Amino acid sequence: MSEVEGTPEGPKIGVDEWVARSEERSGVRGGRLAPLYARAERLPWWALLAAAVGVSALVPFISSSDYVIRVAVNTVLFALLALGLNVVVGWAGLLDLGFVAFYGFGAYLYALLSSSQFDLHFPALLSVSIVIVSSALLGLLLGLPSRRLVGDYLAIVTLFFAQIYVVLATNADRITLPWNDGPTDISGGPNGITDIDPISILGYEFGSTRSYLWLSLGVFAVVVVALQFINHSRTGRAWRALREDSLAAELMSMPVNRLKLLAFMFGAATAGLTGTIFASVQLGVFPQNFDLPLLITVYAMVILGGAGSIPGVVIGAITINVSLELLREPANARLLFYVAIGLGLVTLVRPWRKLAAICVGLVAFGIVAYQLAEWLRPAWVSGTIEGGRFAGLLDGWVIHPVDSTHLGNAGFILLIVAVLALTELRGIWRSILLVPTLYLAAFVWENRLVVEPSVTRILLLGALLVVLMSWRPQGLLGTSRVEIV
Amino acid sequence: MDWDFFVQQLVNGLTLGSVYALIALGYTMVYGILKLLNFAHGEVYMMGAFAGFGVLSLFGGALGVTINVVVLIGLMLAVAMIGTGFLGVAIERFAYRPLRNAPRIAPLISALGVSFFLQSSALLLFGADFRSYETYEYIDLASGIHWGPLNISVVRIAVILTAFALMFGLTLLVARTRLGKAMRATAFDREAAAMQGIDVDRVIVATFFIGSALAGAAGVMVGLVFYKVYHLMGFLAGLKGFTAAVVGGIGSIPGAMLGGLLIGLSEAFITGYVSSTFQDVFVFSILIVLLLVRPSGLLGKADIQKV
Amino acid sequence: MHGRKRKGVAALAVLTIASLAIVASAFARADAGPAATAAPNAGCDSPTIGFQGPITGDAAFIGKEQLGFSQYAIKKLGGGKIKLSQQDTQLDPAQASTTGTKLHADANVLAVVGPAGSQEVLAVAPIYKKGQRLPFISGSATRTSLTNGSIPNFFRVVPNDSVQAPTTAKFLRQVLKAKHVFIVDDQTAYSRPLANGVQANLKAGGVKVTRNSVNQKVTDFSSLVSKIGDDVTHVYLPWQIAANGQIFGQQMKEQGKKAVIFGSDGLDSGDFKIQGAYISAFAPDIRGIKGNAAFIRGYGKKFVSNFGPPMYVATQAAILAIQKACADGDATRAEVQKNLRATLIPKTPLGGNLQFTARGDVKGAKFYIFKLGAGGKKTLVG
Repeated sequence: MSEVEGTPEGPKIGVDEWVARSEERSGVRGGRLAPLYARAERLPWWALLAAAVGVSALVPFISSSDYVIRVAVNTVLFALLALGLNVVVGWAGLLDLGFVAFYGFGAYLYALLSSSQFDLHFPALLSVSIVIVSSALLGLLLGLPSRRLVGDYLAIVTLFFAQIYVVLATNADRITLPWNDGPTDISGGPNGITDIDPISILGYEFGSTRSYLWLSLGVFAVVVVALQFINHSRTGRAWRALREDSLAAELMSMPVNRLKLLAFMFGAATAGLTGTIFASVQLGVFPQNFDLPLLITVYAMVILGGAGSIPGVVIGAITINVSLELLREPANARLLFYVAIGLGLVTLVRPWRKLAAICVGLVAFGIVAYQLAEWLRPAWVSGTIEGGRFAGLLDGWVIHPVDSTHLGNAGFILLIVAVLALTELRGIWRSILLVPTLYLAAFVWENRLVVEPSVTRILLLGALLVVLMSWRPQGLLGTSRVEIV
Repeated sequence: MDWDFFVQQLVNGLTLGSVYALIALGYTMVYGILKLLNFAHGEVYMMGAFAGFGVLSLFGGALGVTINVVVLIGLMLAVAMIGTGFLGVAIERFAYRPLRNAPRIAPLISALGVSFFLQSSALLLFGADFRSYETYEYIDLASGIHWGPLNISVVRIAVILTAFALMFGLTLLVARTRLGKAMRATAFDREAAAMQGIDVDRVIVATFFIGSALAGAAGVMVGLVFYKVYHLMGFLAGLKGFTAAVVGGIGSIPGAMLGGLLIGLSEAFITGYVSSTFQDVFVFSILIVLLLVRPSGLLGKADIQKV
Repeated sequence: MHGRKRKGVAALAVLTIASLAIVASAFARADAGPAATAAPNAGCDSPTIGFQGPITGDAAFIGKEQLGFSQYAIKKLGGGKIKLSQQDTQLDPAQASTTGTKLHADANVLAVVGPAGSQEVLAVAPIYKKGQRLPFISGSATRTSLTNGSIPNFFRVVPNDSVQAPTTAKFLRQVLKAKHVFIVDDQTAYSRPLANGVQANLKAGGVKVTRNSVNQKVTDFSSLVSKIGDDVTHVYLPWQIAANGQIFGQQMKEQGKKAVIFGSDGLDSGDFKIQGAYISAFAPDIRGIKGNAAFIRGYGKKFVSNFGPPMYVATQAAILAIQKACADGDATRAEVQKNLRATLIPKTPLGGNLQFTARGDVKGAKFYIFKLGAGGKKTLVG
């Protein structure tokens, strides 16, 4: 982010030299790819946006599978949500835990206006405009406590709001209204609202998944352009000033309260707009769609990608959503697991001789362990390994007991302990422990994790988040800042 | 509804509230020292509940308890507290310490990662079935206070008393011991404390140990009084504990206790006198109003902003 | 000073393209099978049954058991040829919808068993109705309107709410002579319509009803239990989580409440064993049926609820339909659906025969009512 304005060369006036040079110090990124970065750097942002949207728009021509296109649509929707949240959290620095409520509000309002629930079938453009305006107003309302509350206290109040929203959506199907006899159904309750009209603009009805991909990419481009302009405007700079130090910003006669409300409104409007597309893609809205797990996912995208950076949060959305989808397929998960271990070894173990020694040691260890197990207890090697070609490769190396559940569980606990011990050890002991740990990882994977792909998926996501955050605490494309606590 | 109903709801609320308070204490202690929201705290509580269940199964299970029940419960609490204490220390060491100087928001995601990891580990190791402490099989729930239509079981009394004893012990520890003094100093200003020769890392480890052990105790107590144990039980409980800590004034130990009790009591009374369907709506509305009146929580101090 | 930002945008471009390449190559597998190939749905080379259920998340206790029994059926009846592709929905319609697209796009998938919840069925229905219609059989979705004819490729192996609600209400009124029933739904798509149905039926019969609801995630029901008045004769709990019913029952005992609990089929599980309570069930006691002993032994694992066995039957129906369709060497989804419509499985583990009505419901569905004795022992009473 460009917090500091000034000429690139020569000493900067009115700026602490150390701060001014922070970019140079952190600018070692790239390594051998540096020339590539340098070339790509010269491209203006709109060209990159056009390239990204253009390439994504071609997805339906690369693959005819509806699933791939649907994943692309979901990813774009997540990216939109991340962009909206980024305005509030990344730019204005307000911890808003009620964000998904606006998404839900937008989806539900669109559903109410364009379905048979109240027999309203407004034209899509009208419904969407109503949704955007009312989401922004709701954002204004929710932003009001930010006049008084800061930090975690603001966070908890917005969280209450999100919770209240879900309770209302779940239970507003039996509301007693004074003018109506008997309970009235407003939200459809836990069964939600279905049969929502597809979006249609100027007579063109969006019916297929691929048309929704193009629609959402169009919306994405518009939102990015708008945000890019805001980011460079007075308001954008004022938001960042607010984030860095709201007291100082106030002293500089910035309208702090108005800025906070504006950030909430922008975030809410983006979320509401995304909600309308979601509702029409899913052709239904349900309360479970907008619960806390979604909030967690969007936050993970924003922070992992780098709060405050537009490309960062988009990358965050792509990384998380695509890896979650890839992990649905056990074969992919296995590939990812072994490739990650391999990459980790190659990048972390130096010199090459040591790496080679570890690899040789690993193979030898496996063969010895297998023979030993076979000799001790034949039942330890007479289970089955799932997974075609790969199984043949591993047979004779990895122990696969008949009772894979219990021994696998024990191995899993042992593996966690071993990995933790590994990070504590130094020198030769670390290399020595590394070999059995790697073998144990393969053992646990082939015996326990491979039979529970759905559980493994969440497990790996958790591990991924921890590792990525300790590797780059500021997020993938975020900038590290000196924080004054 | 009458007086008995009021007292009955008071007891219901106190039971729930004392559990919330114990969970909130872990949040608030860690926050006080590291300014960090430890969202994996709920999962620590879940692991505590499972540890207690493990001890119960080891001694014959609910239907055939082989040792004295009081000893058994003491053992369950001890094992759960020690186990979760070490779990908390490990989480600090591997997920939070590398992020000690990172932006404040970064550890939030590490915490979520830890929480996903622990939840799915529990699902992998213990399965998805609900486990039950089945306290009613080895403790007669009819024993306790019966006073007209009012009924308070002995388990409830024990849980409330234990919770208060733990909170009292913690207060003493923080107020009277050397470690407590070091914790207060570190919470006040970490760098200044380090300059005074306090081993800050050690204080942080101790804080995580104590906070997590309290969550582990809460897990066992919930098992004893509400029976059900499963892999996702930490999510909602963690959320309630977090809420209690913030409402009480985050960083303040008496505040967390007060916040927990307040939430437990308001849940019970809202369900009793207003509506169980919209319980959360009313409870949260009360808390929002409360926070607008006292923007730093019940017992929190207004932040002095440094410029 | 746009260096940093430029660098970020540049990285965006590089990473986007890289990730798209990865995605494209990773999904290539998904793409190789389906519509891209010349002869769609000649799917007998590796016929696959899709499985959708909440394998993780709050309802994992349902999904895990459903998955276990589906795998059991595949192993026992699939002849080593039919595969199961498991997809986790976490009982979230959005996840059901995405995984549904995945299954629908895979030409090897000839039928789907699941999803578990009625709201998920509503979410996947528009997907499965598109293009090559994919028949799907739920083992637990009971909402009545699902089989009103609007989803022609939907089947279910459990009777719907329009059977359970009246059976329950009738029993409460006529046999138990209920005066005042305290109904608590658990705010799920399963519970709410059932509670509404029973409430309407009881009210029409002149029985006093007090209606409440409580989130199924809470651990403590004692403040709700305190609200049960002295004149309440019965408590109706149409709940998904039997362990919650057990807590509710114990807390009633603790507070000296005398009302009798009547649970829906969600409480028909080993976790719920309040002595003297009644439960309705979609099948006779599965563990007690003669000839089921081998079936239960074959499963090999402990199972507590009754969410699993219907999925065994659903998977069995799917396997038979696919095997029949594949008898001539190739099979289409339409063929499988036609065969499903004509399903006749005698003596399923659920008791009776399995046949579907024209709208996909179980033919001759009825509900059984049990009274629980000591330790949860079931006695058939209606």
